[in-house]
Amino acid sequence: MARGRKTSVLRLALFFILSSALAFHTSALAQSIAGKEIRIGVLVPITGHGANAGKREAIGVQAAIDVINAQGGVYGVPLKMYLEDTASNPQEGVNALRKLAADHKVLAIVGPHYSSVAESTFPMGNRLKIVQIAVASSKPGMAEANRPYAFRNTITEDKIADPVVREFKKRYNIKKVAIITDIKDAVAKFIGVDILPAAFKAHGIEVMTGNNPVTFQTNDTQFTAQITRLKALNPDGIGLGALGPDALNIITEARRQGMTQPFMSTGPLHEGDLPQKGGKAVEGTFSGSCWSPLLDTPGNKQFVEAYKKRAQTLYPGPYTETPDYYPAWAYDAVFMIVEALKKGEVTNNPKDLESDREKIMKYLSNLRDFKGVGSRGFNEVGDGIKDVYVDEIKGGRWVFITSK
Amino acid sequence: MFLQQLINGVMLGSTYSLIAIGYTLVMGLLQLLNIAHGDVFMFGAFLGLSLALLNMPLYLSLIIAMVGAGIISVLIERFCFRPLRKAHFLGPLVSTVAFGILLQNVATQIWGSEPSRFPQTTEVAQFQLGPVLISSIQIIIVVTSLLLMVGIDQFVKRTRIGRAMRATSENPQTAGLLGVDIDRVIVGTFFVSGALAGAAGVLTALVYLQIIPFIGIRQGLIGMVAMVIGGLGNLRGAMIGGLVIGIIEVMNDAYLTAGYRDMIIFGLFFLFLMFRPEGLFGTIERQS
Repeated sequence: MARGRKTSVLRLALFFILSSALAFHTSALAQSIAGKEIRIGVLVPITGHGANAGKREAIGVQAAIDVINAQGGVYGVPLKMYLEDTASNPQEGVNALRKLAADHKVLAIVGPHYSSVAESTFPMGNRLKIVQIAVASSKPGMAEANRPYAFRNTITEDKIADPVVREFKKRYNIKKVAIITDIKDAVAKFIGVDILPAAFKAHGIEVMTGNNPVTFQTNDTQFTAQITRLKALNPDGIGLGALGPDALNIITEARRQGMTQPFMSTGPLHEGDLPQKGGKAVEGTFSGSCWSPLLDTPGNKQFVEAYKKRAQTLYPGPYTETPDYYPAWAYDAVFMIVEALKKGEVTNNPKDLESDREKIMKYLSNLRDFKGVGSRGFNEVGDGIKDVYVDEIKGGRWVFITSK
Repeated sequence: MFLQQLINGVMLGSTYSLIAIGYTLVMGLLQLLNIAHGDVFMFGAFLGLSLALLNMPLYLSLIIAMVGAGIISVLIERFCFRPLRKAHFLGPLVSTVAFGILLQNVATQIWGSEPSRFPQTTEVAQFQLGPVLISSIQIIIVVTSLLLMVGIDQFVKRTRIGRAMRATSENPQTAGLLGVDIDRVIVGTFFVSGALAGAAGVLTALVYLQIIPFIGIRQGLIGMVAMVIGGLGNLRGAMIGGLVIGIIEVMNDAYLTAGYRDMIIFGLFFLFLMFRPEGLFGTIERQS
């Protein structure tokens, strides 16, 4: 009997310990996250010219939410996406932002897509004191001008150009280059006119075209004149300020006219299936990126899988079925917000909405060693920190030649 | 380099000429603009692409694309011009704008808005002639264009239906009274006009490798400029006009910057309209 009493005392003690531990735990949970859902806002174009990219970004956000909710949400509370359409224009963007902040009362927002929209919504976000994490909006200085609530989980092209030029020089023994650039598309022009000349000069490479690069316009159908001029210059290699489809025509025409020199550019070269469409002509072309569907990490595999699954139900179609880097950064942005929720002591209590939003902003401002699919946090001006990979076209696809 | 650029310009211009001839045929006959003409060109290019993807030899896909584009052009006449023949002259202009947009959207539905490209089925042979490099494709383009141009010129000059076309263009009433079947002549003209645009489409897509459904907009405008520079309704004028534009465009890209290109071409267009509306070789006037 004595033994029996002893065990029952022990049982009682154990019961108390466990129950008090549980009680402590539940009270801790109740303190950190309240409510039946955690609201994440998405501010992207679902209509207008940015519709395809906006839809992919929304799928990226929802894919992250799917993954997190499958693991039990944040301390048992599921995330929910609230989406408002910017219609690819600034006025609608501001309206959508107000709706997300005031009506849906979201904690933080992923978006917007366009720089032109961000120019209106970033200042408004500061006034409303709510975080926006854009995943595109690559116009220089956008986040810096709108501290502290504006962030861009994206990287500027100059940070990609530098390692690409370094590897390009090493591989092909480049001493002098010529630049051919688009003068219509803003991003391609920026790369061809500003970024590449600076990157080449920084590596001691002579830019033969100087301040007078060979020029064309987006979607031109002929490049004979441009290539004849490039050929006469006879550079060691060619820098491209071009989007993928134009790059394809340029390189093909160069090979037709008998040029054998290698081409290089930065991010936009990855658009438009250049390796598959270009065949032999584009082999050996260099570029760089921060993300690729081929990136062989568990995090990336999880992202691609979750994205593809979600794309079948949210905006299915040929332009959304496979992810690019925009949804990858949107996906990471959600995980960043969730980390801020957990470690920034956010309560999710309706009466704490303002202070919660501020806590998220403060946490993100100091986020430097985040472990996302490809995101590492934000620098002091609110721009993304990322790994850069240099890649080349080999055997009909992009292949990494360096890591970081 | 200059010589090579000149060749580049002739090559580009020869497809512009084909488009301009199509415009000028309709213009000469009905004194009306067919704005959807550029989109017929685009459709021809896509038809050629689809056939090439089925491994059809080039000459066959060229012919079928020409017939297809010709039929579309006849449809334009049927739906945009014939019902509005007695309407205000702006009527057909607006209806062809609408038809062009329709064609663009149909093409987007069929072939998608992302660029499509011709398969590289045959190795392209290159010929080095002194400082000038010419490829087999370029030769095909220039020779085909020239053959078509000479063919259409002789067709209009020497054949019965060509004579009927010229008669109708000069004075439809009289031609009708003299027993010319006006409706048939008009349909025939539209068919030939569309077939030439279709041929230009296939040839353009061959060398430029990549086509989108909106390619016809600019090509159509350029064709119009070429027609005005050559002289409205003037066949040979349209040929020369196309070549002139092609050479100007290439020389601009070679020695200036691409940003000036449209400024120069459309500035020239404006100057011609202001100071020499009859064009380089004279407008064929209808006697009323």
